Formats: sequence, C-alpha cells, structure tokens
Amino acid sequence: MIALKPLQEIAVPEPKPDEVYDISLFDRVFEFNGLKALLGAADVNKAGDRLCGLAARDEVEREAARAILSKLTLRHLYDRPLISEQGHADSVMRVNYDIDFDAFQDIAGMSVGDLKNHLLRCKPREAQKIGRSLTGVMAAAVTKLLDVHELIHAAKKLKRHATARTAIGLPGTLSSRLQPNHPTDDLSAITALVYTGLSTGSGDALIGVNPAIDTVDNISSILRHIDKLRRETGCPTQICVLSHVKTQLACLEQGAPVEIMFQSLAGTDRTLIEEFDVTVGVLDDAYRAMAENGPLRATAQQFMYFETGQGSELSYGKHNGIDMTTSEALCYGLARRWDPFMVNNVTGFIGPETHRTNFEMIISNLQDHFMGKLLGLPMGMAPCYTLHSEITMEGQQIATELLTAAGANFFMDVYLSIDRMLAYFDTCGHDDQTLRETHSLQPAPEYLKWATARGIFQRDAEGDVERGPNWGNPRIFCGSDSEFQRLIQGLPAAYGFDSAGPRPSNAVSRAIKANLAAAREAIYAEVKPETLGAIDFRRILTAAQSKSEHLDHPDRGARLRDSELTALTFETADVQIIVSDGLSAEAVHHNIPELLPVLLDGLERQNIRVGKPMVAPYGRVKLAEAVGDVLQPKLVINLIGERPGGDALASRSMSAYLAYRLNDADTRGQAASFSGNAGVKYEYTVISNIYTGGLPPIEAGSLIAERVKQILNHKAAGNRLEHALSVAAKGERAIK
Amino acid sequence: MLLAGLDIGSTTTSLLAASARIAMNCASGRLMISGADIVCRPDPVFTPFEDGQISSGALRRQIETWLRDAGISPADIFSSGALVTGLAAQSQNAGTITALVRELLGDSVVATADDPKLESWLAFMGSAAPLSRARSGETILNLDVGGGTTNSALGRNGNVLATGCHFVGARHLRFEPGSYLVTGLSRYGCSVLEELRIGAKKGDTLERRDAERVADYFVALLEALVAGDRSPYASGAAKLIEQVALSHSIPTEIVVTFSGGVGELVYAEAGGKTLPPVTHYGDLGIDLARAILKSPRLSRDVTSAVPENKGRATVQGLTLHSVEVSGTTLFLPHPDLLPLRDLPIVASLPSTASAAEISAALDLGGNSTRGIGLQVDFDAVNPPLDAVRRFSQQLSGALSRSSATNEGPVVVLIAANAGKTLGNYTTDWQQRHHNLVVIDEIPFRSAEFVSIGRARHGLVPVTFYGIK
Repeated sequence: MIALKPLQEIAVPEPKPDEVYDISLFDRVFEFNGLKALLGAADVNKAGDRLCGLAARDEVEREAARAILSKLTLRHLYDRPLISEQGHADSVMRVNYDIDFDAFQDIAGMSVGDLKNHLLRCKPREAQKIGRSLTGVMAAAVTKLLDVHELIHAAKKLKRHATARTAIGLPGTLSSRLQPNHPTDDLSAITALVYTGLSTGSGDALIGVNPAIDTVDNISSILRHIDKLRRETGCPTQICVLSHVKTQLACLEQGAPVEIMFQSLAGTDRTLIEEFDVTVGVLDDAYRAMAENGPLRATAQQFMYFETGQGSELSYGKHNGIDMTTSEALCYGLARRWDPFMVNNVTGFIGPETHRTNFEMIISNLQDHFMGKLLGLPMGMAPCYTLHSEITMEGQQIATELLTAAGANFFMDVYLSIDRMLAYFDTCGHDDQTLRETHSLQPAPEYLKWATARGIFQRDAEGDVERGPNWGNPRIFCGSDSEFQRLIQGLPAAYGFDSAGPRPSNAVSRAIKANLAAAREAIYAEVKPETLGAIDFRRILTAAQSKSEHLDHPDRGARLRDSELTALTFETADVQIIVSDGLSAEAVHHNIPELLPVLLDGLERQNIRVGKPMVAPYGRVKLAEAVGDVLQPKLVINLIGERPGGDALASRSMSAYLAYRLNDADTRGQAASFSGNAGVKYEYTVISNIYTGGLPPIEAGSLIAERVKQILNHKAAGNRLEHALSVAAKGERAIK
Repeated sequence: MLLAGLDIGSTTTSLLAASARIAMNCASGRLMISGADIVCRPDPVFTPFEDGQISSGALRRQIETWLRDAGISPADIFSSGALVTGLAAQSQNAGTITALVRELLGDSVVATADDPKLESWLAFMGSAAPLSRARSGETILNLDVGGGTTNSALGRNGNVLATGCHFVGARHLRFEPGSYLVTGLSRYGCSVLEELRIGAKKGDTLERRDAERVADYFVALLEALVAGDRSPYASGAAKLIEQVALSHSIPTEIVVTFSGGVGELVYAEAGGKTLPPVTHYGDLGIDLARAILKSPRLSRDVTSAVPENKGRATVQGLTLHSVEVSGTTLFLPHPDLLPLRDLPIVASLPSTASAAEISAALDLGGNSTRGIGLQVDFDAVNPPLDAVRRFSQQLSGALSRSSATNEGPVVVLIAANAGKTLGNYTTDWQQRHHNLVVIDEIPFRSAEFVSIGRARHGLVPVTFYGIK
C-alpha cells in the first residue's frame, strides 16, 4: 500500500496577486491578466473555453500567449498555484503539489519551451521520470505548445502500465474495457453484451457496467452477476460497477466483489465535492479499504479506476476561471495520489457546449492522453460524442487511430458503439480489433492465452496472433442458440452479430448508420407547425435565435424573447399547452398530431379551460415557467422532444412536463414544507417516453388529461400529488 | 411479483414458483415478465391416486408442505395456474381437486381441469418458444410426451399455430420396476396390446420384444403426426388414442422438439448420459425414449435443436406463460371490480364492427352476472386515432342499447396500446355510466374464457383457458 501524505503536509506556495503578461507580436501588443487567462488563451480554440471567454480571440493572440508561456519557468508556475474563488488553493490543487520536490529543484529553472524540447529530445526512460516532478498546471502548460505529431510522439515514449489480474499497458498491447450497459440494468441483456464483448477479444482491462440505478442492492447484484460470468467463462480480467464510491464502499462492506473501485474526478473542489459528492478524504478511505479488504488485495498492484474528461467543471459552471485542458490536468495530478489501475478519459461526452467539432474533440483527446501519461498515469481513452454536437463517427474513429499511434492503454467496447444507457457513442469491440490489426497490437498476455484456448484468437504459421474461428461469435459462451436469443430479447439496438473481417458486416453498419442519421436529423430538424395536425397554434419565440444557439446555450431556450414579454399578458385559462422541439423536433412531429386532439378533447370534456396552444421553436423544459409567469394559468403543459439515443424509433421520444404554478400562499407553503425548498414556485409531474414504442401518443393524450384533472383537484403535482393520491386511496379503502 | 404453477399429471405432480420482474422490454416497448428467478422447484412426486381417484387429502398435504418449505403464503402470489391433466383429469373427483387448488394457491388462482389444448400450448411456451423465436424462419413441432398423453403444438417464431393431444405416453403400461411384470394397464394400453395381438394382462410378464413393439406402435403414431398423415388415426386403437387431432397442414420441413418426462429421457440419452435400466420408473418411458431415438425422422433434430427445460415444460409454461400482463394505461375506473373470474368471451370482433354487430355479441352473454369478455382486433399495435374514436362510438351505442350489460361489466380486451383512450371516448370521459373495463396490450388468444386478476402497480394479470 502506498503511503498517502496528509493534505496539510503538502507544501503549497502562498497565492500571489495576478500579474499582467504582455508581448508585442507583429506590431500588436497583447496582454493577459494572470496565469489562468494566459493558459486559456494559449490553448487550441474550443467551444467550452469560448463559452467562458477564455479562448484567444484569434490565432495571432493564441500564438502570443504561447510565446509568453514558452518563456515562463517551471518555478514561475510552481510559485503561482491557481486559486479558487475564495482566494486559496483548494484540495485538488494541493494534491497536485504532492511532487518529488528534490527532482523538481533540478528542473525548476527550465522554461516551458525548454521542457517541450527536452521531452522531444530525451530517451523514453528520462521522459517517464520527469512527470513525478510536475504539477498538473505545468503539464497543461507544456501541452499547449505541442502540435499533433508532438502530442503523439512524446506520449509514445511515456508508456505506463498497471497490474491487477491482467497487466494493462505493456508494450505491444492494446486492451479494452467491456462496457455492457443497459437502460434498466437487465442482467440477461448485460450477459449477452459480456459474451459478445469477450468473443471479440474485449474486456482484458475490465468488465465494467455503468448502472442505471445507484443503490447498494442493485450495485451488489450486478457485481455478483458479472463476477459469476467472469468465473464461468474463466476470463482473466477484473470487474467493476461504476457507481458512486460511497455506494461501492457499502457494497464492499457487505461482501460484494468490488474488485476495482471507481470514481469520477474533477479538477476543482467545487465540482468534486459539491457535484460529485467526494473529497480527498473519502477517496483515501476507499483506497485503504481496497488495499486492506478488496478481493484483489493479494493479486493486484493497483485497484483504483478514475474517469475524467475535459469540460465537466465548465458544464457545472464551477471551473474557477481555469480552462478545460488545465482543469483536466489537475484531475490527473489528483488521480496519481492513489496509483490507479486505470484512468479513462471521456472527452466528448458532454456535448457541444464543451466540444463542438471533430477537431476540438480529437485534439483534446490527444492532449489528455499526453498529459495523463506525462504525470505517470496508465491512460485509457474513450473519444466519444453525443448527437447534439457536430462530432461524427468518422471523427471519433480518426481520434482512435491517432490515440493508438500515441500508445493509449485501452479503449472502451460498447456493442456497436451505441451506449444504450448513457445515450452517447463510443468505440466498439470491432474498432478495438481493427486498431490491434492495423497497429500490430495484441490484448494483455494473460487474456490472450485464455482467448486463444477458446478459438477467439489463434496463431498463424509464423506465430503471429490473428482472429480465430470463434472471433465475434458470442454463442460459444451459451448452451444453445435459444439461450442466446433469450439473452438478447431485452437488448435495444441489437442490429446484428455478423462481421466482415474485424469490422461489423456491411448490413450491420448500414443499420447503425441509418439509425444514427435519423436520430441526428431529429435534433437538427426545425419545428414545422404544418406537420403538427389541424390545430390552430400561436407561435412564440424564445431567447435562442437559431438552432445552434439553442444547442450551445441551454439557458436561452428556457426564456421568452423580450418582444414576447411585452406582447403576452395575463389570460384566464386553467391550462396552457406549449409544444417545443427541445432536442428532437421529429419527436413532436410524430406525436403531436395524435396526442394533442385527445388531450384537448379530454380537457374540454372535463370542463377545463384551455388557452390557445403555443408552438415554441428552440424551447427547453423550463420555458413552461417563463410562459406561466406571464399568462398565469393554473398549469402549463410543455410537450417537448427528448435527447435522441441510438435508434430511430427512440429518437421520436417526447415528454410532457406538467408545471403546476403555486399561485397562492397556502399551496406554496405546503409545497415548500413538502420539498424542503422554501423558494419553490412550480411543481412538476412528468410523463416521459411518449412514442410508438413506449407510451403511444393517443394513450399519452388520455393520461395527461387525467393527470391534469388530478393536479387541479388536489392542488399539487409531482411527489406531493403522488402522496396526496395515496393518502386519498387509503382513506377510500378505510371507508369501505 | 410471485408467480406459481401446479401441474397434476398422470404420473407426477409438480410445483414451480418464480419471482419475476414485470418490466418494459427496452427493445419491443411491451411489458413483459422478465428476469424470472425460480424460488421453488421441488422434485416432482407421484400423483397420489387412491382407487382410481386422486387422493385429495394426500395432495393437500403435499402442496401445503411445498408452500411451507418455500415460505410462500397464498397472499403473496400475483398470478398462478394449475392444470389437472392426462389420466388425472379423467379422475372422477377432478372438480374437487380444482377447488382444493384454488383454496391453496390463493385468490388469484385460475385453475382449469383438463384443457388439453392449453396444455399443449403451455408445453410449447415453456420449452420450445425461445428456440422458435431464435429460428424464426422455421416451423417447430413440439411433442410433450408424458405419462398419459403426448401434447403436440406446432409453432413459428414463438407463436403456437395449432395444437393436438393424443394418449401416447409412458404409463399406459405399468411394470414392476426392473422387470416387464405388468402391474397395470390403462384402457388405451389394453387396446394397443389387443391390436398388436399381445395377449398380456395384469400379472403377466411381457416379452421385451413385445414391449418394444408397443413402443414402436406409439412411435409410428408420432411419426404420422410429424408427417401430417391422419390415416393411422382413422381406425383401431389409434382412433381411441386421438383425443384432439392436430388439425393444421404440416409443412414438409419442420423441426421436431420434445418435452415432458419422456422428452427429457430422449435428450439425456442423445446427450450421452446413461439412462437407468428399462422399466426403472415402472413404465414404458425408457423404451419409448429409445424407440423415438431409433426413428430417423423423430430423432433428426435432437442434437441440433434442443429446447430449454426439456422436462417440466408444462409447469414452466404454466408458471411463466399462462398469464399475460396488461399495459399500464388501462380504462379501469373502479379497480375494486377486480378480480373477475371465468368471463365467457362472447366474441372476437374486428375494430370495424358496427354498433349492431357489437350489440349482437353482447347479447350472446345473456344476463351474465359475472360479466363478459369481448376481444377487439385493431389490426395494429398503434391504431390511428380515427379508428379508436370510430369503434368507441359504435361500442357506446351498443352499450346503451344492449340489455345484457345491466349486470356484470363488459371487459374489452385489445392487443393494441389504446385502452385508456378507447374507454374515455366510449364513456365520454366517464360521463356516461357504462359498466366498462378496457384492458390493453393483451395478445389475441382463441379461447372460451378469460379471468382477470387484481391490479397491482397498475397492471393486471389476464389468463385465458378453454383454448379453442
């Protein structure tokens, strides 16, 4: 077990006031106020940094910042810890200063530019040593000076490996984490995904499930299930369920097989503690619990697993004015405290507000991989995307090729690249094998031996590893065809199991891409009122002026445009209906023509007065409140498209948000005491999953009409309504 | 939710209880029973017969012991089914036994005595259905060969197309275990011996060759079923043996699977397991299994198409497949109306039916105080709003006109997911006081009766029997 240095014993210099860095370049004078501004401006141009005003305004300004940064010494960076809004170095920053100070003294006089040259000139062994004397900020600084070739070439020298049951990151290997996620944690479907992954040679780094339900019972039951699969298949790997560290600790205490302990990390305390609900102390406890009681304590040299990704601090608005790359480097400076088995980077996961284009996502991934390796971490990569960004499958594939060239330890295996639980897109087992073949790599040695014995791999006449006869055939782990069929019954987006070489067969690829295309179309489609049926709508405008503004600035779709605020006024209806695109105009096009007539009939027949329905392009959920504040109905119904997932049908999924306006003091008081939120103004009842494969629109219309009646009768919505209904039902039974 | 099944057969009685989750299938969007964990599957016991009747006292003690050992109380059971089958169904007190089972397996029990087509259906669902879905392009004939009967079911893509029932089974000849000393003969056994001119009776020892001839005789009848050849059943003992003909044209290329006690022996022998010596079980079972394996046609698929649960298919089917789970958006203004038992299904109508046609169907129920069931086919999982409104209007007219609905409720069953809206339009959002329940997402079944259990978590269990 490594000794964890108490936080108060880590020396951090006293913060200094920001200084102005200036330079004259091509007759222009550039000034940067403080290190945070300088670091932000020196980075590649990315959406997240643009959003918070840190990105350079143009390429010349960017080069000016890089020129200044190049000349700053490491000592200069050491002496100026980046501070929180409270003016001190937070615990994340403090852990970043837990470096080999003696070694640092030897290089403290080196400029950032010198460090870059040194890393490119030196032998791998020297490059690998230097990270222990660097803080995250120093790693970020040098990264901003590197181009694509340099990010790859330098990272290639920094091979880092870690060992549990398998050794991951050895030269000549490329491993994968099998990620068999399912939207309802269906154990049969998870089994099918594990079998599928193993049959493509995946999962040598980990079989790790992201759970849908984070309870101790559920996490324990998934852990026990995948442990059983691991034992039955005999696969040499390790397992993990990626729930909150506190849940996993409770599972471990109850004897569940928590072989690898997972947690997401962030680069600022405000994100780590307030949003992720963990502290350095909790992670210290988790590390000690694993070292002392973890099932792999005798086998593994490392047993922690962290995930990070550029932009999470920014998406919570808790980045302390630090740019995305530097925040990410601070995560790595934090992660190395616990000598992890795996660090996985999921840059691209959040959406267009952090990474809008393929280029932004690719370059961030290369930076992250380099920084993590420089700081001594066994980095795996998950270049990924969501459909509401402009990142494409092709861009993501380019990222994986470059990262493999750079020596990434592992990628994900998400079956056919569609994560059915998290609604994002990542690498699949076919991608991993394609990369192994293209770059002459193999899985971890222990796993390769096992997979070769099962015909998943074989050796050719020259002794080279190639795909075996059972590669890609998950049925080898099942007793029968029908058993496999039973396992995949509840698996969405199961487009097929046929392969062509290491790739999915063309028919399978076409099905994936056609569904992705339909889903993406749903996001970028504009609301067409003429396709919403024979309903007389009034059109209202939100503060988002265009589709891209709507996608990049989530808050604007929740506000009415100023012109509307002056035009609209108090009305006397009980209910106001809004139809908005949200993240899928196709969803409203497909559902509204059948849903709305039923809803309007139902409300009318129950003598509920309805205002003239509104259609609101570029709307978000909270637009209900903006409209409610102006028109003052009792209830606003916002019928809105949901974020599309991996198949065309589900991209037509819509929700109904029933926002009940708490307009009298008595009701507001009851709602405040029920929720514990003194400022509560609206209560919500939500009916989701409205589409032909879920709750069909004509049934949804009836259901919403019934709910409206209940809300108005009980003067409550959401959990308070459910509570009132259950009290009423008990009363009825008592009378009988 | 706890589900239970009880199968009282000619030879053995078995119980199965499973704890299942009812969840929306993420791929199909339908509510389904998923993740069933078997919580209780005791070894089957010989069905307790006493003087040709089932001993109700012994049966009661057995079931009570099983339930107690598994810690199950009748109140916990969401849905259960019981079958009294084969020779047991012909026992004179089968009706008493049905009542006993209802008492022991809780209020939600839907018991049915001797429903051979249901049994065939259940055996297919409990055994061959997953295989059938996996090999969706092929037609499968499942032969559930038990002690008294062979229940046949022809199915495609998980759905049963036709069923039959024949008195081909292991216990028509009973022996002293370990020998061919005859200890009992059913009347079917007697007539087969007579037809084969084998002069053995109770107390005689049969020649091994003769026992094999009986087994071969049964196998020939099964081969005829597979070939779709009705002629062997036209006369003699075979005419008596045919309880329900498998009346469906049999495609030339079908896959044959087995279940039932003899089916289990077939797969065990084919899988290289050593079977006990012949007549170990005191019947013709092992001879019959070997005779099946000797038949090139019957044994062709035994290694390439192996169904799940080779043995206890019926009880598995009974537990997990006899119940259909409704959708969550029902039209059920008064949940206390449930449970509704044994409603006659008066008609199955297309959604284009007129008010007059619906009226005529409702009147078929007479003044049933229990209520009546009506299946309506919308011909689509998601019917258009116009079709739902139109049918609602006709149904409302018929309900106003019909005299039959003054007593029990009219329960409309639809496969489509449109129950709440259909009910709301029919009753003008509950302003008309029709005694109406609409239950949706119930696949169409050709049956005479339907029972509807109490609602739990917004779902109701629906069970059909009297399969046509």
